[in-house]
Amino acid sequence: MSFAVEMTRISKRFGDVVALDAVDLHVEQGTIHAVVGENGAGKTTLMKALYGALHTDSGVISIEGQTVTFKSSAQAIQSGVGMVSQHYGIIPDLTCLQNLILGAEGGPFLNLLQAENRAQSLAAKMGFEFDWNRDAAELSPAGAQKLEILKLLWRNSRIMILDEPTAMLSPADGEALFQSLRLLVAEGNTVILVTHRLPEVFGHCSRVTVLRGGKRVAEKMVSETNPSELAELIVGKRLEAPSAYVPNIGEVVLEVSNLDVKGYRGNLAAKGLNFKVRAGEMVGIAGVDGSGQRELFHALIGTAPIQGGQISLLARDATKLSSWDRLQAGMRAIPEDRHAEAVIEEWSLDENAALGLQRMEPFASGRIVHEGARRVASEQISERFHTKHGGIDQPIASLSGGNQQRFVAARALFGEPKLILAFQPARGLDLAATRDVYEGIRSECDQGAGALVVSYDLDELLEHCDRIVVMNRGELFEPKAGEEKDSDVIGRLMVGAE
Amino acid sequence: MVSMSVRARYRFYQKIAEALFRGGQGKRIVSILLLSMAGLILLWVAIVATGAQPLGAVQALLKGSLGSPRAISDTLRETTPLLIAGIAVYLALRAGLFNIGVEGQFTVGACAAAVVALRFPGVVGLFLGCLSGILAGALWAYPAGWIRAYRGGHEVITTIMLNNVAAFLTAALVAGPIKDPTQEGTTTANIADGTKLSHLYNSGPWTINSGLLIGILGAIALGWWLRKTVSGYELRAVGANPTAAATAGIDAKRVMLGAMVVSGAIGGLAGAIQVLAFQHRFYAGISSGYGFDALGVALLAGPAAIGLLPGAFLFGLLAKGSTQLQFMNIPKGITGVVLGVLIIIAAAIRYRKAKAVES
Repeated sequence: MSFAVEMTRISKRFGDVVALDAVDLHVEQGTIHAVVGENGAGKTTLMKALYGALHTDSGVISIEGQTVTFKSSAQAIQSGVGMVSQHYGIIPDLTCLQNLILGAEGGPFLNLLQAENRAQSLAAKMGFEFDWNRDAAELSPAGAQKLEILKLLWRNSRIMILDEPTAMLSPADGEALFQSLRLLVAEGNTVILVTHRLPEVFGHCSRVTVLRGGKRVAEKMVSETNPSELAELIVGKRLEAPSAYVPNIGEVVLEVSNLDVKGYRGNLAAKGLNFKVRAGEMVGIAGVDGSGQRELFHALIGTAPIQGGQISLLARDATKLSSWDRLQAGMRAIPEDRHAEAVIEEWSLDENAALGLQRMEPFASGRIVHEGARRVASEQISERFHTKHGGIDQPIASLSGGNQQRFVAARALFGEPKLILAFQPARGLDLAATRDVYEGIRSECDQGAGALVVSYDLDELLEHCDRIVVMNRGELFEPKAGEEKDSDVIGRLMVGAE
Repeated sequence: MVSMSVRARYRFYQKIAEALFRGGQGKRIVSILLLSMAGLILLWVAIVATGAQPLGAVQALLKGSLGSPRAISDTLRETTPLLIAGIAVYLALRAGLFNIGVEGQFTVGACAAAVVALRFPGVVGLFLGCLSGILAGALWAYPAGWIRAYRGGHEVITTIMLNNVAAFLTAALVAGPIKDPTQEGTTTANIADGTKLSHLYNSGPWTINSGLLIGILGAIALGWWLRKTVSGYELRAVGANPTAAATAGIDAKRVMLGAMVVSGAIGGLAGAIQVLAFQHRFYAGISSGYGFDALGVALLAGPAAIGLLPGAFLFGLLAKGSTQLQFMNIPKGITGVVLGVLIIIAAAIRYRKAKAVES
């Protein structure tokens, strides 16, 4: 058996962060090879190195026995390596045919008729059907994925890297995709599949490489392992959670029933969610990025419409309430995207302090801004998590990201919140500040708030939350009683091994 | 090598400025000085290119606009519509909208005010005239605001189109149904004396109309409203970051629509005041581009609405002074060059991105 790809001792650092630490990868020709691992394990970095989109610090790559050094993706394509990234490179305003040939037109003049003939024969070989002159905007997620694969074939790729190809697909479309991939490998092509989903590994792949924290922890034949071993390899042995904290559980502050939320690509990103958050507890949502947490969060804040189901806030139906009414009722948010959702960069800290609280005491009395009280409050908010700043009249853009995050987190805890929604609340914070922020949320919980925390970092959730639920492909899973903080159970739920 | 030495010199002046002005202001002040210098050089070149003496041109400009009580009165008269229309543009600008449609809103406001003021003579007509100008302007801005907020169509495109509709529609009206049959040209009749907006001060060569006071009070009130009220805060939030505003519970679309409508209403009021205070009738082309110059006024105003006052005065001064230039065989358009350069300088200073300082 010959290797299509051999990567030997690949290392890559980004500043102080070691993204890849002497990683090996061996991919046999004519197989589907899985690369699995958590967010930040180094999967995408490794694939970008293979695709020439990233320069490695050290290590050797060889393709079909030839040692190569790709200076660009164009060179990788020349050598027959192609990649479909998570975010498709389809331009909606161009037709399917134009998208297909874009960047590989084969000369300064277009011969669209010839191109269409070749496109048609490639598609027929794969069993795909395309209306080549329709705008790509009309493609479904599955159609876009198929077009991406044809783009690789158009460029004569023999080694195809697919990064999370089923993330946007329905299970049926995902199954159909794997049928096409099997056709490709049967013809001698090689597929490298980056995935979080263990069923895909066991259903369709022959070998699997596990990355964790930038290191290769295992490379196995799929037939010689099992889901539970693989899940443990992916998640690793966790430190046992600190002694179970018994929260002072009160009434339900948030109840979500049968909630459906559409994603930004029109697919259903969150499906039939049911869960409760009670006063006094901090509930963590674990899961890999893109499992529907973002859409759930926006639905709870009220900035994204929901498809069905109910949200109730403090025992009151909030499904139809505006964002403001939810804030008024005591909901507070630490949004995911600080720059876009949480601050107005050119405004001072003082003015930013009122954002989301602007119509409430003490920031306003009636319809008039209460500037004196706002100054006092913004000083308090800055001090709570030790935001370093050059005066509250300075624009918030003059603060570092971490200091902005401290400010935003403190603002969400200001003025007796009833429900705290925190999306990666410790993003960009060092360990001490992370602990401060979680302890801050905890102290609000002790005073009767409930908190819902989304994080991609399972350790962080295990350390701070009272219990953890898991989102995977838009569905929410609650571990059985007694297993709410069992890292093995949660790890398996995260990758779909249970 | 040259660029290096320029950069070194820039750093040198920056250091001096930093020593003179506390905090991070040094860099900003040096940029402003450099830009102003570049602007002056550009102007000098432009005037020389027309074959005139730069110094003489400036003298003529100032003499024509500020040289006598009469000249000053006329400058203030030109300032009034620029100021009120500037308020309209400024309000929309703070909500993140570029209302190029003030020209059209001004025109329909002027037309509506003339028609109503002719129908109802006396103080009632004055009051109803203003009101109808406000309503007409608001109505004219509504579609642009709605399309922007709820359909995502860009307000610059829609308001430009509505400007054309306003110009041709009012021209058609004044050529037909509302034309004064006793007159040769396409104009309405003159409104009655009792319907006119009275002068604030009128003695000898000095004439100052109440319209100017309305503009000044309006600018002050807008500044207060934006800073001190919750709705002003929310409007500015929408203008600066609509996503963050929505996350903060603000209905950004409603705010956009509201800002556009109120902006249009003020633009309509500017047109109404132009008729009721100065022109006393409506005719096609009543606005000599006030709505467009108001864009410059608003852009020059800076972060506080009070900045509209010097901006409008400057534009009024150039408009009045430019007539004097013609006597010296300098093309009137040179003032347009002056304004263009000023706006580019202002924009270059204003829109420099605040650089994040790691702390």
